[in-house]
Amino acid sequence: MSILTIAEAAKQIAARKLSPVELAQTQLERIRRLDPQLHAFLLVTEERAIADAKAAEARQMSGSLRGPLDGIPIAHKDIYCTAGIRTTAHSKLLETNVPAEDAHTVKKWTDAGTVLLGKLATHEFAFGGPSFDLPWPPARNPWDTEHFTAGSSSGTGAAVAAGLILGGTGSDTGGSIRGPAALCGIAGIKPTYGLSSRRGILPLAFTLDHAGPMAWTAEDCALLLQGMAGHDPLDPASVDRLVPNFTADLAKGVKGLRIGVVRHFFETDHRASDATRKGIDDALDFFRTEGAEVRDITLSPAADYHAVGYLLMITEAFTLHGPWMRKHFHDYGELFRDRVALAATISGPDIVQATRRRRMLCQEMARAMADLDIIVSASQPGEAPKIADLPKWVNMEKPSFTMPFNVTGFPAISICTGFGEGGLPVSIQLAGKPFSEPTLFRAAHAYETAMPWRSNRPAMAA
Amino acid sequence: MSTTIDETELRVLLARAGLPHSPEQVRAILPGAEIVQRMLARVNAPLPREAEPALTFDVEQK
Repeated sequence: MSILTIAEAAKQIAARKLSPVELAQTQLERIRRLDPQLHAFLLVTEERAIADAKAAEARQMSGSLRGPLDGIPIAHKDIYCTAGIRTTAHSKLLETNVPAEDAHTVKKWTDAGTVLLGKLATHEFAFGGPSFDLPWPPARNPWDTEHFTAGSSSGTGAAVAAGLILGGTGSDTGGSIRGPAALCGIAGIKPTYGLSSRRGILPLAFTLDHAGPMAWTAEDCALLLQGMAGHDPLDPASVDRLVPNFTADLAKGVKGLRIGVVRHFFETDHRASDATRKGIDDALDFFRTEGAEVRDITLSPAADYHAVGYLLMITEAFTLHGPWMRKHFHDYGELFRDRVALAATISGPDIVQATRRRRMLCQEMARAMADLDIIVSASQPGEAPKIADLPKWVNMEKPSFTMPFNVTGFPAISICTGFGEGGLPVSIQLAGKPFSEPTLFRAAHAYETAMPWRSNRPAMAA
Repeated sequence: MSTTIDETELRVLLARAGLPHSPEQVRAILPGAEIVQRMLARVNAPLPREAEPALTFDVEQK
């Protein structure tokens, strides 16, 4: 069986041309064959998967399918709590943790009929990685297993790219969905802050954490987000507003869209690789040709956004983890422990100043977007580096392209724009106004369906 | 503000936070602390007095 997208599998399941049980068995066989090289899974829930698939097949046969996610094999990043199923955050501290309840988003996907294949590798508590001193190894990039997946939704990126799952969950505090999506050559969206519930997802930083989906295509992300978004009165950041139809505008193309390019982010603030910049320029040419209006815009330096986001992130993380770090210092991996410990050097006035500057950056971005539909930037500075070559402070040294949209809470999607050095994927990031996910999916889908990149899987997955 | 931090200062701050880093571990995170100092200089650049934080108190606590 070839690797299907969620949209393809859903059509075949609805037409009774594809058995959810056979699909689950195919995925489990792929996991058995490929995951020993990828380490994408921390736990494979085979019995649960078969039970879920049989239930989906019964609904298929009785004509009572619940929608396009019914019978679709997925897995969850291992910071998403799963009732009765171990949830570790990839940390020794939670090695035997078995939650009593599902995360809100896990329950929503279960209710939509998804088939749970297991729990996926992350950086420790969605921050400390890639680490080699944890109970499980870090995930590897299926395009070349010597290379980094980015993080922290590393297992989801690797598992989707290798076709082990059709989609999965990620979380994004500074780029943890869009980074692995970029380096693994898939699609991943960080929705608007508050669009999807964070309840039951182990937190890293309250004001920056976002839950979102990752999949092979933007269309699949739209289907997955449909099953994930919605008000949760028990999450204080959750917004109470009507969830739009994320696939309704997919076929509209980009004609008439107004696109602003934050060129200084990836040309001067943190110069991206040749292949990354070429991929972005080619994509902009495509958008222009298809009738979009494209112009450069200027924002504050990426380093301003990065400093605000990073300082708030480690301080919020230390607020959560400080008590454990004092008691169980040696049970944390070195990377998480040392990165979060830096919060000890930040004062109260520093944090107030960071939150004041955050407001100014939010206002600046809102002003810039007033007459735009999309802001374009890079997702990552280049092709995936070798996992063994990463410096300890890699996520601090140069400004991130993803952090600006965690600081502001605006939605942003990463999609693949082709392949660079070593045949490794490169990417583009499209960001929008709050709650403009349908527009992002529309532009991303127009690009993906016009380009050949979605027909190219990693060699190991062929 | 200063954008540097030395090992002694870092050791004191970590100890004040209750973190039991060894002298070797303090030395190992000093480069990270120096990057944080540069970030702090950036966020502490002057702002207008009336600039409010992003998370202002909300009396309704919606």
